[in-house]
Amino acid sequence: MRQQYAIRSLVLVAGLVLVGLAVIVQMIRIQNSEQAKVFLSQGDMYSGEFRMFYPERGEIYDRNGHLLAGNRTVYELGVNLSQMTNPQALATTLGTYLGLTYDEVYNQLTDSPKSWEYIVIQDYVGTETVTALQELMQQKEDANDNSLSGLGFTPHFQRSYPEDSLASNVLGFVTRDGRGYFGIEEKYNDLLAGNPVQVWVPSDPNKASELPKVPNGTTLVLTLNRDLQAQVENILDTSISNYGAENGAIIVMDPRSGDILAMATTPRLDLNNYTNYFSTYDNGSQYNRAIGMAYEAGSVVKILTMAAALDTGTVSPNTTFIDTGSIDVGGITIHNWDRKPWGQQDMIGCLQHSLNVCLAWISTQMGPQTFYGYMERFGLGHPTGIDLSGEAMGRLKVPGDTDWYNVDLGTNAFGQGVTVTPLQLLMAASAIANDGKMVTPHVLYSMLRDGHQYNVPSQYAGSPIRSQTAHTLTDMLAISLEGESSNALLPGYRVAGKTGTAQIPTDYGYDETHTNASFIGWGPVDDPQFMIYVWLQKPSASIWSSETAAPVFAQVAEQTVILLNIPPDMVRNQFGSR
Amino acid sequence: MQVQATQIIHAYKQAPWRVQRQYVGAFLLAVIGISMIAALYLQVTARSAAAGREIQEMRFEITTIQRSNADFETQLAKLTSTAEMERRALEMGYRPVKPGELDYVAVPGFVAPEPAILRAAEDAVDYTQALPSAYTQSLVEWFDDRVKSGGY
Repeated sequence: MRQQYAIRSLVLVAGLVLVGLAVIVQMIRIQNSEQAKVFLSQGDMYSGEFRMFYPERGEIYDRNGHLLAGNRTVYELGVNLSQMTNPQALATTLGTYLGLTYDEVYNQLTDSPKSWEYIVIQDYVGTETVTALQELMQQKEDANDNSLSGLGFTPHFQRSYPEDSLASNVLGFVTRDGRGYFGIEEKYNDLLAGNPVQVWVPSDPNKASELPKVPNGTTLVLTLNRDLQAQVENILDTSISNYGAENGAIIVMDPRSGDILAMATTPRLDLNNYTNYFSTYDNGSQYNRAIGMAYEAGSVVKILTMAAALDTGTVSPNTTFIDTGSIDVGGITIHNWDRKPWGQQDMIGCLQHSLNVCLAWISTQMGPQTFYGYMERFGLGHPTGIDLSGEAMGRLKVPGDTDWYNVDLGTNAFGQGVTVTPLQLLMAASAIANDGKMVTPHVLYSMLRDGHQYNVPSQYAGSPIRSQTAHTLTDMLAISLEGESSNALLPGYRVAGKTGTAQIPTDYGYDETHTNASFIGWGPVDDPQFMIYVWLQKPSASIWSSETAAPVFAQVAEQTVILLNIPPDMVRNQFGSR
Repeated sequence: MQVQATQIIHAYKQAPWRVQRQYVGAFLLAVIGISMIAALYLQVTARSAAAGREIQEMRFEITTIQRSNADFETQLAKLTSTAEMERRALEMGYRPVKPGELDYVAVPGFVAPEPAILRAAEDAVDYTQALPSAYTQSLVEWFDDRVKSGGY
């Protein structure tokens, strides 16, 4: 009997061992099968997730530390469908708070595919709305009402411009996909955006410390002076209204460093509503006319012609010219702006009365090689290299070009037939205001990253003329303004400058009724600390820049000396003599 | 003689219950040892898990604070924007100054202060350099440092 039980036990044990072995074999087989690898990889997918960590976009400040572009928190508002219990309540609440219709929200919640776990109802929802919704959720939770369950808020940053449209043409804007367009935002997009980091975030809390530290984007400090920028924009807007101009641009620059202190153009865009871009501009070049739109600037170019002539010794301030009212260049007769003869003039008189005939004579005396050589050295026909996106080059026809004719030597001398941007002329004239050294204009003053500061040094773009030439011409321009009691004069400060009234080329020749009014000037003459360029497009109150652009220069100069703490000449000289 | 030897061995052989107790004791010791190691492991794991969670929560908190900072900064900039400041100044009875109304005073040695944003960058401390060397040096580096400094 005992033996019989023993055999049964042995059989039972053997059977169990066999089953056990079979289980183990099967486990080993499954774990090492091809399918196991697939299952393992699927399992790994749920052991964590790849997450992209976006750094906070770098801020933009003006030179005095005023925030021009920052970030604010907004929320992506969505519903976790598996946790949703009451779509009707959600549709009613969200419709009310988000300004959507009940049907809109309800259909989204109920018509979504079965496989969807989460749907976004609205993104870029402001903090106020989210706070109100969170308070409502809390109240309902306290009352054991779970009708809003499933509702979730995911915070993220949105670009914010506290000054709205101020300096919009310089700053540019950032779209919702985080990319910068125009101005600083586009030029320094990579620096501002920083480097997003994609990492595997494990569900295992032991590995939580593996989360990366994503450094913020680089903070930029601009050369702009916010208060001056605001004043210049006000002056520009008022001038356009007063003189009936279509549009305009004003630039204020420090000729010693190339720092752009203010750059105002019209129209401007409220950067917090950048979606109005397409209704505001016809094309990208209009976004910042000061750098993106080349035009025939007219007589302001005369200062470059005169600089070249003085530098080569072709003329001196006392050189006399008998103006007969016309001159023949390349078989074409060139007239003065008033088609009248001005008789005997010295070079100051030529500038003061803006005599086309005189300047055409000067360029022919220099010859095309010398004249165009100087224009090239002044940078005409080349971008200035300013650190803003969307810069236009302008056009300087030179001998050898298929569309260059002999008469161009005469007309180019007084700014006809050559297109420039306001900034190009400002850069070229900086050589005259800055002892013969031409500066590269720039907007970036400093970069801040990880607590370190990198200042942007000033860059010189060559010395097209000698220092003595620069001083002589500055003096001539100051005398010419004083001689005609120009509207550009600023009491207490000696300034130098030149008007430019240019006809507008069309497909059928020059427009007889409209002009571009410009003025370029700088001061104080003995120690230039600011340069100002004014451009008014098609002013209807007067076609003459002496009556439109020149007084605008004086207004801008007045604000500039106040905001930059530049004392009147007499006070400065008193300080200097102590 | 052989019988005597067997008797002696039997006399010195431990009683079966003692042997059993020794086995049980050894087993219990092993169980206690394993339990202690398991408990230690569990405690360390639990602490590291808790620390990991804490780090995660602190990171979230840092992110939240950074967001708040950015929000406050933008709000402050909005409140001190040119348009807002001009409106408030006019409300308070101020008007724009004219060049002739300004008085200039020469202050020898005066240097205009830099904006706060640039000053902050200059003052920034590199905390990795401020850490004591004990936190950054390897044993070999420490030994080398001591030898060079004449400590040994």
